[in-house]
Parts: sequence; C-alpha cells; structure tokens
Amino acid sequence: MEKNKDPGAWNPYLAGALAGLVSVGSVWFTGKYFGASTTFVRGAGYVEQMIDPARVKQLEYFVSTKPVIDWQWMFVVGILIGSFIAAISSGSFRIQAVPDMWQKRFGGGLVKRGLVAFVGGTIAMFGARLADG
Amino acid sequence: MTNDQLYGLLTGILFGFLLQKGRVLRYDKQIGALRMLDMTIVKFMMSAIVVGMVGTYLLVDLGLAKLSIKPMITGAIVIGGLLFGIGWGLFGYCPGTSMGAVGEGRLDGLWGIAGMVAGAALFAEVFPLLKNTVLKWGDFGKITLPQVLGVNHWFVIIPFVILTLLLFRWLEKKGL
Repeated sequence: MEKNKDPGAWNPYLAGALAGLVSVGSVWFTGKYFGASTTFVRGAGYVEQMIDPARVKQLEYFVSTKPVIDWQWMFVVGILIGSFIAAISSGSFRIQAVPDMWQKRFGGGLVKRGLVAFVGGTIAMFGARLADG
Repeated sequence: MTNDQLYGLLTGILFGFLLQKGRVLRYDKQIGALRMLDMTIVKFMMSAIVVGMVGTYLLVDLGLAKLSIKPMITGAIVIGGLLFGIGWGLFGYCPGTSMGAVGEGRLDGLWGIAGMVAGAALFAEVFPLLKNTVLKWGDFGKITLPQVLGVNHWFVIIPFVILTLLLFRWLEKKGL
C-alpha cells in the first residue's frame, strides 16, 4: 500500500541479501563479524572515565571491555554515515523527533517520547549484554 | 586511524547505506514488524542471515574463515532476550539501527542511544552479581546446532534456506 509513496526504497530482499554479502566479505577479508552492543559498553566506559576514572579501573567488566576505539566502534559510526549518505542522495533524509506511528497513538510530545526511548534503550542494552549479543 | 578502524568504518558505511535503502531504520518499520503489520524488517533480516550463513560456512569449509561462536548460557540468553524485546518495543530501534536512524534524521534515536550507554554502565555495575548466578545458569559452552544434532552443517543450512524461502512466499501471499 505504502510502497509507491517511497520511491527511493530498495526491495528489502535485495538490500538484505547485499547486507549479507557485506558481512561475508567482512569475515573473509578482515575476520570481523558484525555487532554493535559491545561499543555501547566502551562508550559507557568513556563517559564514566570523564566522571570517575578510578571506578572504571575497578569494574571488572570495563577491564575486560576497555574504553578503546576498535573495529566495531568505527563500524557503528560507519552505520550512521552510510545511512546519512543513502538518505541525502535519495532525498529521504528527514529531521523528525517523534515517529509517525508514535504520534498517532501517543501524541507529539517530545518529553514523553524521549523518556520512553531512554528507558527502552537502557532495558534493551542491559538485556543485550546479559545475552552476550 | 589503524587499518582495523578503517575497515570497520568502511564496512559500517556499506551496511548503513543498505539499511537505509532497505527502509529498516524507521520506528514505524520496527514497531510495524513487532505489531505484525509490516514485515519489511523480517524480509531484510532473513535475507541477510541466509546469504551470510551460506557465505560464511563456504568460507569456513574452504579454510578461509573461522567461526566466532558465542556460549549457550540458557538462563542469560532467555532473560536477556526477554529484556531486549521489552526495551526494543519501547525504544523502537535496536543498537545498530538506532545509529542509522539518527543518520537519516530520526532524532528520537539519540534518547535511546543515551539510554543504551546508561544500560551498559548499569550492566557493568551489577556484573559481579550476575557472574556467578544468571551467567552460569544452563551453560552449555560454545555449541552449534549441527554439533548438537551430530550432522554436517549443510544439513542444517539447506533446510533453513528452504524454510526461509517458504516464509517469504507466505509473506508475499499475505501482502505483509
């Protein structure tokens, strides 16, 4: 139904299959498997280092996952840049702080959406780390 | 920049480009999939998994790559997965796609990125408590399905590919 309203979109099967090829190429040429959540641990380590560096040295989890900028950190930054390039080049870049579906159900309030997104992100990352994903 | 960092950046740019083109970065698409209204994400994800699975195992068979297997810690995976699902449903993006969402202008991703940094910090704080409890419940070590079933990996991969193609056909029939 909505397919014609979005002319810059690629077929999701094709885009997904190409993403699969990129992941295979990555494993082939550099031995790196895709992942994102470890980077948020390193990011948290950086933030805490600015506030309380002694605490970061104490915590076992930050000792094994040190705040350093590694392959995955740059991969995560790359996702943002790649998405930006694709969005700008196809005219689908759009500044939006409250998604359409959210707005229809919960209204356009920035604080409500921000608060739920923050809490959701916190729970999701805690779960991801617990499952080692 | 080290070579590792450069390769990470380039790989991320390619992946982010495809995520945006596939239209899987949006809250409406992610929550649309969880509400079973729009299966764009499932199509993208399953296509990537199938191609990635076949390609990676080909590389392994040819001796060109090594698998990176995560341990099967049942308790941690089940509880972690349930929490991840709740968080994903509230946030509307997953860790990787939240970055891509910000890249195409969806600024609500930033709130959740801050939340994810907080979630990681919280996990680091309670890790000593979890280490000897949840993270030990039902630990089967680094196992794979073919290993557990005692068969060559292609006996798992090929049926998986066939089932995925059947799922795709069904999704198209239903117009999802």
